[in-house]
Amino acid sequence: MTSELTQTAKNGNTPAPHPPVERLVFTPPIDIYETDAGLVLRADLPGVSLDTLELQVQDNKLTLFGRMEQVVPENARLLHQEYETGDFLRSFILSDEVDHQHITAKLNNGVLEVVLPKADKPEPRRIPVATS
Amino acid sequence: MALFRWGHSWDAFHDLEREVDRLLQSVNLSFQGLRFGRQYPPVNLYELPTEYLITAELPGVKSEELELTIANGVLSMTGRHANPEGTAEERFRRQERPRGVWQRSISLPDRVKADELSAEFVNGILKVHLPKAEEVKPRQIPVAFGA
Repeated sequence: MTSELTQTAKNGNTPAPHPPVERLVFTPPIDIYETDAGLVLRADLPGVSLDTLELQVQDNKLTLFGRMEQVVPENARLLHQEYETGDFLRSFILSDEVDHQHITAKLNNGVLEVVLPKADKPEPRRIPVATS
Repeated sequence: MALFRWGHSWDAFHDLEREVDRLLQSVNLSFQGLRFGRQYPPVNLYELPTEYLITAELPGVKSEELELTIANGVLSMTGRHANPEGTAEERFRRQERPRGVWQRSISLPDRVKADELSAEFVNGILKVHLPKAEEVKPRQIPVAFGA
């Protein structure tokens, strides 16, 4: 039913050169696991390329935003649909144990991998207590 | 002596509530709920003037982990999602991405040239090109009159 509706909507929009299409927003599935050096986050972002991916850290919030690119030619007629094109958005609160300055990321085959290294814990400091 | 005390009966109820909570917490519903009733991987099927095009969302899958076969108008895809190398289960804080072996068969809408099938990966999306077979020409059957 859904695919039929989507298909009708798409066919109806074809005459306009740039139909104003509202894009869908998805929450990508993620894995987070610990390593000796810190945390690794992996997110499934199929259809997202380096040019359409944004990753930013503000204060203690890590936000990823990816735009799926259309991979089929313009003249393709949709016969059956199980997934839709849209944008991926998800954000995470980083704990103090993550070194915000040294976060690295790479994108491979539609999977984003973010490495969140552990921050060095400040050494406990002795406070001398003087008697009056 | 009171045989029935509200206070005590509520205590028992709270015990039950706590027990149910504990059981529910051990079941992770997030992934199963999301994918329930859906086949993996999700595919779209398109028709072009000269070919059919199937696209499937398969992020993280490498070409060598994927097997494509075609027989009797059915395209079969088999593959597996590898776990991150040497990561112990207890090191995962969150596990939502699909893993393990998957298999999917798709019936093709028309005859295709099975030997000219080609496939490629673009940013985690598999594209399978299936060139259409030439139209089978209608054949005239001469009908002889019976003597």
